[in-house]
Amino acid sequence: MFTLIAGGAASGKSRYAEDLILRTSDAPRVYIATLEPFDGECRERIARHRAMRADKGFRTVERYRDLQRVDVPVGCAALLEDVGNLTANELYSPGGAGEDTVNAVVRGVEALLVKCRTLVAVSNDTLSGGADYEGDTDRFLRTLGQINRALAARADNVAEIVCGVAVYHKGREPY
Amino acid sequence: MIFVTGPLFSGKADYARTLCPEDKLLLNAHELADGKRDPAALADALAARYAVVTAAEVGGGVVPVDPVQRSRREAAGRLSCLLAARADTVVRVFCGIPTAIKGELP
Repeated sequence: MFTLIAGGAASGKSRYAEDLILRTSDAPRVYIATLEPFDGECRERIARHRAMRADKGFRTVERYRDLQRVDVPVGCAALLEDVGNLTANELYSPGGAGEDTVNAVVRGVEALLVKCRTLVAVSNDTLSGGADYEGDTDRFLRTLGQINRALAARADNVAEIVCGVAVYHKGREPY
Repeated sequence: MIFVTGPLFSGKADYARTLCPEDKLLLNAHELADGKRDPAALADALAARYAVVTAAEVGGGVVPVDPVQRSRREAAGRLSCLLAARADTVVRVFCGIPTAIKGELP
């Protein structure tokens, strides 16, 4: 079962995604973290998310790019957080996929789907903030938009989180 | 007229192309809004000329500091409201998934 969760900044999408995983069966829980700790703000965000997950029984696997090579146990319930970071890492990191970012991310998710019984992927809605973008930002938004659509097409359920409330555009709340 | 909106790169154009021939389709109406004296007249004209009109939702995020961008965004949002008011059906496309928010999906 694959559920894609998207929403704006601080919309409550992480908490909602974690709760979905908790409501699944007792499959081993894996958290696939994509945010590379570049600076203090990243480290703060990571610490806040770690605290939120502290008692929820997740094993954290860090994977900043090349999702296809992620090592998770067969039959697990995985939370991928988040698709926006992964996309930026693939696009801009020296070792990233660059021009091949859409393929790299989508194939990575497909590889996860083979192994996981449950996959919840968190993505970002960075696309309603105006149309006056160019250069790298335009490239990032265009790429993330394409990836979101490709993942939504493969997902069983797609939800947009608005102020912590899940609005399902496809399927329904799975658990 | 069917009005199709949604975030940038959400699949509005791909969806709109399934609804009508190219000559009855107007993409990215938000780009036409800037500097128009009479946006209601523009909306009337577009609704009469086209079967399907798309426009991106551009009003989210912080208010732009630049006054030109700010007024462009305002104009785009107001034109979208005028178009939605004239449309029989308004569809919002999110991650490629169309949802009717006014009327029924065609």
